Order: sequence, then structure tokens, then C-alpha cells
Amino acid sequence: MSWRIGSAAAVVLLAGIAVWWFWPSGPERPTPAGAEQSVTRFLSGEEAAEDYPRITGPEPLRFPRDHGAHPEYRHEWWYLTGQLETVQGRHFGYQITFFRFNLDPRAPERDSAWGTNQAWMAHLGVTDTEAERFRHRERFARGGAIGLAGAEVDPFRVWLEDWVLEGASGEDIMPLHLRVEDDELMLDLRLEALKPLVLQGDAGYSRKGPEPGNASRYYSYTRLATEGELVIDGQRHAVQGLSWMDREWGSSVLSEGQVGWDWFSLQLDDQTEIMYYTLRRDDGSVDPRSKGLFVAADGSTRLLEHEAVELEALRHWESPLGDARYPVAWRMRIPSLGLELDMEAVLDDQELRTGFRYWEGAVTVRGEREGRGTRGRGYAELTGYEAGPQ
Amino acid sequence: MYRAGLRYLLRHPWQLALSLVGVALGVAVVVAVDLANQSAGRAFEISSQSLTGRTTHQVFGGPRGIPEAWYVALRREHGVRQAAPVIEGEAELPDRPGRSLRVLGVDPLAEGAFRQGFGSLAGEQPLSRLMSRNDQLAMLDRDLRELGLAPGDQLRLRLAGREYPLTVAAALRPVRELDARGLRDVVVMDVGAAQELLGRSGWLDRVDLILEDSAAVERIRALLPADAQLLEAEARNAALQQMTEAFQLNLTAFSLLALMVGAFLIFNTMTFSVVQRRQLLGLLRAVGVTRGQVFRLILMEALLIGAVGTLAGLGLGVAIAHVLLDLVGRTINDLYFMLSISELSLSPWSLGKGLVLGLGMTVIAALRPAAEATATPPRAALSRAVLEQGVGRRVPVAALAGILMACGGGLLVVVLDGLMPAFAGLFLVILGWALVVPLAMRWLLRGLVRPLGRLAGLSGRMAARGVDAGLSRTGVAAAALTVAVAAVVGVGTMVDSFRHTFAAWLDATLRADVYVSVPGNAPLRPEAVDALIATEGVAYWSSARYGRVASGEQRHRLRVFRLPPEAETAFRFRAGVPGEAWNAFREEEVVFLTEPFAYHQALTVGDALPLATPRGERTFRVAAVVYDYSTSEGAIMMSRETYDRFWDDPVVNSLGLYAPPGTDGDALIQRLRSNAGELQPLRYRSNAELRRLSLQVFDQTFTITQVLRLLAMLVAVVGVLSALMALALERAREYAMMRATGFTPGQIQGLILGQNALVGGIAGLLALPLGLVLSAALILVINQRSFGWTMQVQVSGDVLVQAVALSLMAAVVSGLYPAWRMGRTPPGLALREESA
Repeated sequence: MSWRIGSAAAVVLLAGIAVWWFWPSGPERPTPAGAEQSVTRFLSGEEAAEDYPRITGPEPLRFPRDHGAHPEYRHEWWYLTGQLETVQGRHFGYQITFFRFNLDPRAPERDSAWGTNQAWMAHLGVTDTEAERFRHRERFARGGAIGLAGAEVDPFRVWLEDWVLEGASGEDIMPLHLRVEDDELMLDLRLEALKPLVLQGDAGYSRKGPEPGNASRYYSYTRLATEGELVIDGQRHAVQGLSWMDREWGSSVLSEGQVGWDWFSLQLDDQTEIMYYTLRRDDGSVDPRSKGLFVAADGSTRLLEHEAVELEALRHWESPLGDARYPVAWRMRIPSLGLELDMEAVLDDQELRTGFRYWEGAVTVRGEREGRGTRGRGYAELTGYEAGPQ
Repeated sequence: MYRAGLRYLLRHPWQLALSLVGVALGVAVVVAVDLANQSAGRAFEISSQSLTGRTTHQVFGGPRGIPEAWYVALRREHGVRQAAPVIEGEAELPDRPGRSLRVLGVDPLAEGAFRQGFGSLAGEQPLSRLMSRNDQLAMLDRDLRELGLAPGDQLRLRLAGREYPLTVAAALRPVRELDARGLRDVVVMDVGAAQELLGRSGWLDRVDLILEDSAAVERIRALLPADAQLLEAEARNAALQQMTEAFQLNLTAFSLLALMVGAFLIFNTMTFSVVQRRQLLGLLRAVGVTRGQVFRLILMEALLIGAVGTLAGLGLGVAIAHVLLDLVGRTINDLYFMLSISELSLSPWSLGKGLVLGLGMTVIAALRPAAEATATPPRAALSRAVLEQGVGRRVPVAALAGILMACGGGLLVVVLDGLMPAFAGLFLVILGWALVVPLAMRWLLRGLVRPLGRLAGLSGRMAARGVDAGLSRTGVAAAALTVAVAAVVGVGTMVDSFRHTFAAWLDATLRADVYVSVPGNAPLRPEAVDALIATEGVAYWSSARYGRVASGEQRHRLRVFRLPPEAETAFRFRAGVPGEAWNAFREEEVVFLTEPFAYHQALTVGDALPLATPRGERTFRVAAVVYDYSTSEGAIMMSRETYDRFWDDPVVNSLGLYAPPGTDGDALIQRLRSNAGELQPLRYRSNAELRRLSLQVFDQTFTITQVLRLLAMLVAVVGVLSALMALALERAREYAMMRATGFTPGQIQGLILGQNALVGGIAGLLALPLGLVLSAALILVINQRSFGWTMQVQVSGDVLVQAVALSLMAAVVSGLYPAWRMGRTPPGLALREESA
């Protein structure tokens, strides 16, 4: 989907810039001169993408192969978000993403195991709703034969150093086991799919823009029963809840005029799920390629075109850095489903302030479906709000 | 009164100028050596600070390094994140022969916490290219500009013998000036590219760590491979730097010798000025000037000379330091490690030391003459004869003191351990002998009166008696000359002996007809080894593997030899029984040690040496100590058979190929080239070439010693020039009188030159025993303690003859001007001049 493509597109180069940014040089940190230029060039330019294979139409996905990496494509990710609760009902949100990038499509064969065009980045975010704390971490490593980071099947395993998401062998990779630890922050979760995976877009073919090849492969697990342990600020909690996993890869770039996106994954109490995003344009309008997917309780799906969904921001929050104002409460109406939902961030400040800034956080959902009250939880991802390179 | 003193000095400009030059030169040499040493130290510190960065600990492996899989497991299985892999190597610029660059292979993504200077590696473009290609590098912005390059340009580099066109992926622009200086001549590459270009795929040279507490240290220690060790980064840097300490101390000692000769000069000048002004001083005392005031007057004069000379010396020292810096840098690079000393750091501490030493020496040297001046009784005139009598009485006393001093010094050298006492003792010996010189000279001169009389009649006798009569000045001049010539003899003999020993060792050791290695000491490919040993004309072969091995907290050089029995004679034993030792070498858990290693580690035959092997720590018995002059750090030798039992490392770094007698070496190299040339770029060296190259490096290493030797000699010549010239000028009246009584100008000139020749010759002769003692001490004690080498003392007649000739010549040259002047001056004028 476009929001993630955009995210990835920015991230491809930001992977580098972020490390630079991340450099602990304190007050001596240099300003990333030239970064703006390369972002603009990258986001609008086609020439950089020409050496990558492109995705131009629907093709059947094959598993378990497609659970693994597609190193020839420019970018790819394994994206988990979820809602966790202790027995006492204390709520936590979490996000863990493994990003893979191909930095150099024409890279030669190498003798050294270190020689690779594959770069990996992982983001971890945990929201402690009750304590109003949001903690996040970022990691980088190279892929390739050296084995510091990568994705494999049979058995399924995605890792960046000691952050690992692993599963079973064969077509069905469930159950999954996620283990990530960084000082005073830890997730150790087991995940089991309550519904089979769903293909987004046209049988997994997800178009981003008018240009041919500006598309990706995209599928999701929308309801994963989750249980395990989490540690935040040194405190350990036994938790259980629901997670959502997205898988996407491709070589697309943002189309001209697209500035950012608002993305939502909602899991409602009536065993249905909604994915929806709007692509925002620089003139303030919404790109017609914004879309979504409704997953019924029985696992059947329905594509949501952008005209079918009304989305309105109700409240905004200003980043402490002062240069970004994110919406943190919304009203979503989908008349065709008889749905009217109010969403609100469980915590306003769920902004990842690392090399690549964005807001990714847990939301609560309250509303009505065909006149009956419904509740749920979800995740929102908001990008392109900061004034700056974007 | 002070004005009178000043006027006196200014009225003798030659004398003043020469003492100033003497002091200046002495101080200059000390300051230059100290500055060069300090700059080398500073360069080392800066480069290790910016290359170590925030690293607290480093993991080193066995001879092959650390398997990269260990590092990956550290991050993957154990979650250790403050870890960074490092590959180190060397590169040459083919377009600039002689300029070496240090290659550092790092993982830019792991560098963040470690080396600040590498910040710009992680920009998008450099990161992707560095990682995915093996022809990319980053260098300091300043270095690039100097090479006329910018990012995107190409730079040809030679690594492990092969030339590569590499692309500049990024310019490093460190924020801290420290990094900008420390990263000079460093080529940064991705760890993968460095592995490939240096032939190290699969291995790392070290892993840098940032460990916050002892628990973290223990955790890593528990994970170490059996043959690896965890060292504190600072301790390791200190150990590296310590390797050059002995070398630098030797330089300092030589420079002090130059200063000592300079001090003799001051002593001489001040003594002379006192003697010459005895009338004036007597007058001053008569008009009520106290002894203390006279004492201060002389001291102030000396201080003035000392201050001006020292200041000039500081300036001159800085200039000389630029030359020395290059020589010191080259020696450190040849003997110890790669170090780019690009700039002279003008440490105020060095300059301050020079100032204090210069002024201090001046004051000390002037004490005696000043005391002498106060002894001038308050009478208008004290005849010189009385003064000479006084000197004459003191000469035996001084000689006795000198003998005692020399004996004490000798005792200090022999009895106490360590370098400092040895140097101190050596200085006492030199000083002591200098004190003996006047007496020895007197005896010699008195013995010479008759033979000279027979040889040259009255003039001959007068020359000998004249020198003797002027002993108060000639004695000091001769002593200074003796010390300087002795230093020339001592150092010359030491270098000769060392070179001779080294050459003899090379002859014994370089037995193979052709040596084959990969430049940069990269591994030989197995298929290249097979092709080489199978070449027609290779009767048998030896192989060597060079690496480092852990022993406790230390890292030692390890040399693994596969030796055919025929090659055993290449090693000469300092300790151990050859037959037994060679059997044990192949079959038991034993090692041989090179002599410096045994010395530094205080080990000998029968001792046990624990080494970390992949099978855990093992104890190896020392079966022999062999002579070796290749490294002063020393090395452990192990047989390939023993090595293979413990290490899983088939790597070979060099081959020695032995041909049957009568084989044409060049033809053999041709055949080897055609057999293995395609497989790997290799370096083929005949034993004659290797010998020549080794001696070349040797000579280069000792250039600095030779330069210092010459400088010391220069100071001495200036001293003799000043002393003898002053003496001759002082005697102007005497000579005028002689002219008046009928001596021809030619006779007077002959007399002056003859006297000088006598002083020079005697000083030269007296320098020989001291020089030989000096060389013996340098060879048997100083060098032994500094580097652990045994050398054969090799006294070359040439050095001795040259020394005496030099001394004679210096003395005669310094007589030329007075002789010329005396010859021209009408006797009346000279008589008037001196009585004025």
C-alpha cells in the first residue's frame, strides 16, 4: 500500500541518513546537508528505480516462499502491531517492524560474506497506556550471507541480530514466536492466526500510482491471538491480546504530489477488521488511490474504495519537537457497511523520533454498526506531517 | 662592573660567537630529538585515540584472527550490541612510492558508537556502495584534497601486491580536530571489501567493544574462542607505544651527549675569559669588589651566553627536528608499527626542557671558572705562571676524581639493571675520563718533548712545552674533543658491530635460493604453494606462517616453520642443544624463542610458556633460544607439525625454495613465475636480494644515529675551534715577542699549527680507549638491555683512524686563522694590542 511504500521509499535513503543522525556525536552532530535534495530526488525520480524488478500486475503468491525475503526488490517488510492486556486489564500497544532494503540493484557477486546490497532496519515501539509512556527503539544491520539480519523459510524466521520473529515450516507458518529485547524493553510473544491471511488490493497486487510498476505485493494476517510477556521500563507483565501482521514488497516510488498518509488497522469486537488509508496530496486533497479492505467475521473480504470512506480529524496534537501537528482523534464513516466509528489515540505522544520520524500508535475505537454499538482497538500510522525534508 | 664584563665579551667576538654556536648546537640537538620523540608519541596518541574512539576493550584472535561467525553470534545469540568488527591492513599508492596508507575495514552500521570520525560513512550513497561493492573507500577530506581527489574520483591503491582502481565513496570530515589529525593516511573501507582485497575472507583482525562494567567484561570473556583474548584498549595502546620506548630513550641519550660536549665548551670559554681577565679581576678586587660580586659577574656572563645560545638552540632545534621527525617516523615504521607523523608538535614541555638544560648546563659549567675568579687575589696582576701552577696542582686531583667517577660509572653500568642506570653510568665514565685527559696529556707531552725536539728542533720542543704550559685551556679543549671523538668512535663501532652481526646472521639464515611471499603478508593460496613447490629445480622447501598468539595478557609474535632437516643449520643456538632441541621441535610440545624474546620475557631453555590455542591454553617448553635480529620485540618459533596439532590453520605466508647447487637463480624465478604467476600476485626474492634489502632497511634505521653522531662531532669541532683559536690569540704577545727575537712568520705559523696538531692528535688518541669502552657499553649493555640482542664487537681500524684524523684535522683547522693572523701582524702592533 502507498503509505508503506512511501514510508519505505523514504526509509531506503533514510536508512542511511538515520544512522548518521543516530550517530551519538551530541552537540557536534552535523546537519544532514543534502538530505532534502536526495529525498526529493528519490521520491519523485523514476530513474533510480529502473534497475529494480517492478510489479506490474496480479500474480499468484506462493507460500511458504513468499513469507521469506525477495531481495531483488527495493523494499520489503514484516509489520506487526498489536493490543495487549494484563489479567487486570492494563493495556499496552506494540509495534515491531523488520524492514529490508536493496540498496544497489546492480551489486556484483561477492566473495566476502559481508558484501551485500541488503540493508535491514527494525523499529520497536511499546505504548504503556496506563502509565502514559511510549518507548521506541531502532536498529540497523546489513543482510546477506554474514547472517546479521535476514528472512528465511522452512522454518520461517525473520531477524535483525537478536530480534527474532520465527514460525513453523511449510505453507502455514503459524504459530509465530516474537522475541525482541533492548535494555529495559522486551517483547516475548506467541502468535496464532485466528483467520487465514488475506490478499490486499487485486489478489495481492496493490497499485500505488498511475505509473506502471508503481505497485507492490501485499497481504495481511488481520487477527492473531497473542500471548506472552512484555517488559517496559524494567517492569515485567504477562499479557495477551490481538495482533495484526502486514507483509509487503516491491520497488515502487511515491507519485508526484503525494506528501504523506494516514493508515488504520482496526480490530472490532464483532470479529471483523478494517484496513484503510488515505494518501494526502500537497494541495490538501486526498489521492483517489486511497483505499482499504473489510474482513468479515468469516474471513471473507471486501475492497473499500476511497469514495466509500469518509474520514475526519477531530483533534490534533503537537510534537514536542514543534514542527509537526498530528491528528490523534478521528471519525470514520463507511455508509455501505453501516459503520460510524470514533477513533482516538490511547496516548497522544506515540511519535517515533528516530532518524525517520512518524507517528505509529494504538487507538481505541467506539461506534455503531448498523445501529448496534461496537468497540474495538487498532493502530494508526501517520506520516508526512513534519515540516522538514518531507 | 657588568658593563666591563659585557665589553670584554664583545671585544672577543670570535670567541663569543663560537661559544654561542656550541651551546646553541648542543641545545638544538637535545631539543630536536625530544621534539621528534614527543611528536612521534603525540602522533601515536592522536591516531590511537581517533581510531580507538570510545572502544574500551578489544578482542584478538589467534594467528588467523577471529572467525567472523563469532562476531555474528555475539550480536545474534548474545545481544551484544556495542561491538564493531575491524580488519586492518596496509596499502600503497603506486603513484607515490614509499607512501603507505593504513587500511581500516569497518562495518559502518556498527560504527555509530565507536569512532566519531567515521560519521559521514553512513550517508545513503556511501553506505550502499561501501557495503555492496569492493572497490569503494573513504578517506579524510584533507588527504583527498592533497591527492587532488573528490568523492566519485578514482584512486589506484596496491593491496596485498595487487593494484586496484578504487572509487572514493565519501570524504571524512570529522568535527573534532583530533579526528582530523588522527585519521591522516587512513583508508576506510567496508569490512567486506577489506577482507576481499587483503585476502582475509571469513576472518576479522579484532572486535572492538564498549563494555560498561566488569560484569560485561566477564560475560564477553566467557564467550571468547579458546585462542582469543580480551584486552583493554588503553593497555594495548600503551603496550604498543612502549615498544618504541627503548629506541626513543637511546635517541635521548645520544642527544644528551651532544649537550655535554656543549657544556665543555661553556666551561672552556668561561675559564678562558677568567684567565684572560686576571688583571682586570685583580683590579676589581683591589678597588673593593667582593668575592661574591666577582662570582656573580662571571656567572651572569655565563648565563648571558647560555641564554642567548639556548634561545638560538631552541630555534635551531625546531628546524633540525623537522629532519629528525622524518627519520624517527621511518624507523618506527620499519621496526614497530605503521604511524603517520605528519606534523611536528611543538610541545612547550620539550622547549622548556631544552631551556632548563641549556641554562643549567651553562651555570654548572661556569661554577668552576667563577670560583676561580674569586680566588684572584686583590693584586693588580697575577702572573699566568701562578695560575698554571694552580692548574698544574689540580690536574692530578681532577684525574683522581675522574678515575673514581669513571669506576663508579662503570660499576653503575655493570651492576644495576635497566637502561637508565646504564646511561647514567656511561655519562659518569665519559665525564671521568674527560677529567683524566689533562693529566694524561701532560704526561704524554712531557714524554714528547725530546722526540719532538729531535724531530723539529726548538720549534718541536716549544710546541710540546707550549701546550703543556697552557694546560688550563688546552686541557679543557682536549677533553671536549676527546669526548666528542670518543662518541664518534663508540657509536661508529656499535653500528659497525651491529651491522656486521646482522649481516653474518643474514648470511647464515637466508639459505633458500628463492623466497616467495605475498606482499603485505597475506596468505599464499594453497594452489600457488602446490605450483611453486612442484616447479622444476626446487629440491626441497620450507614454509613460514606469521601471526600473533595470546599468552596471558600479552600478544606475542609467532612464527611457524616447516623446515626440512637441511634448513636447520640456518638457526644458530644461543642456548639449547641443537640435536635434542630439533627433535623436540618436531615431536613435542616445545617452542624455540628468539633471543630478544627470551630476554624481554626472562625465559630460558627448560622454562614453560603458556599459549592460548584453539584447544585451550597449553604450556610449551622452551627447547632453545636462537639468535635473531629481525625484530627487537622477539618471536616464538614453532614447528608446523606442532602448530597443526593445536591450530586449525593451514595458512602459509612465505615459502623458501631450495635448489640444487649450480642452479641459475634467475631462471628458477622465471620458472616459478610462469607456474604460479597466474594464481596470485607474488613476490619472488633471491637470497642475495633479500639480504641487500634487509641491510638497506638496517642502514635506514641507523640513519638517525649517524646524524646524531655527526651533530655531536660538529659541536666538538666548534668547541675545539673556539678553544684553540682563543689560546693562540691570547698568546699573540708571546708570539710577537718571538717575532721580535727573530722568529720568522713561517716558524710562528708552524709553531701554532704544531701545537694545535699536538692537542688534536693527543685528544684523538685519548679518545680511542674511551670510544672503545663506550662502544663496548653500548653493544654489550645498552643495546642488550634496550633490544635484547647479542652482538659481536667488531672494531674496525677505519673507524679508529678516521677518528684520530678527524680530531687532528679539527685542531689544525682551528689553528689556521690565528696562524694566518700572527703571520701578518707586525710584532709591534701585536705587543701594543695586548697591553692596551
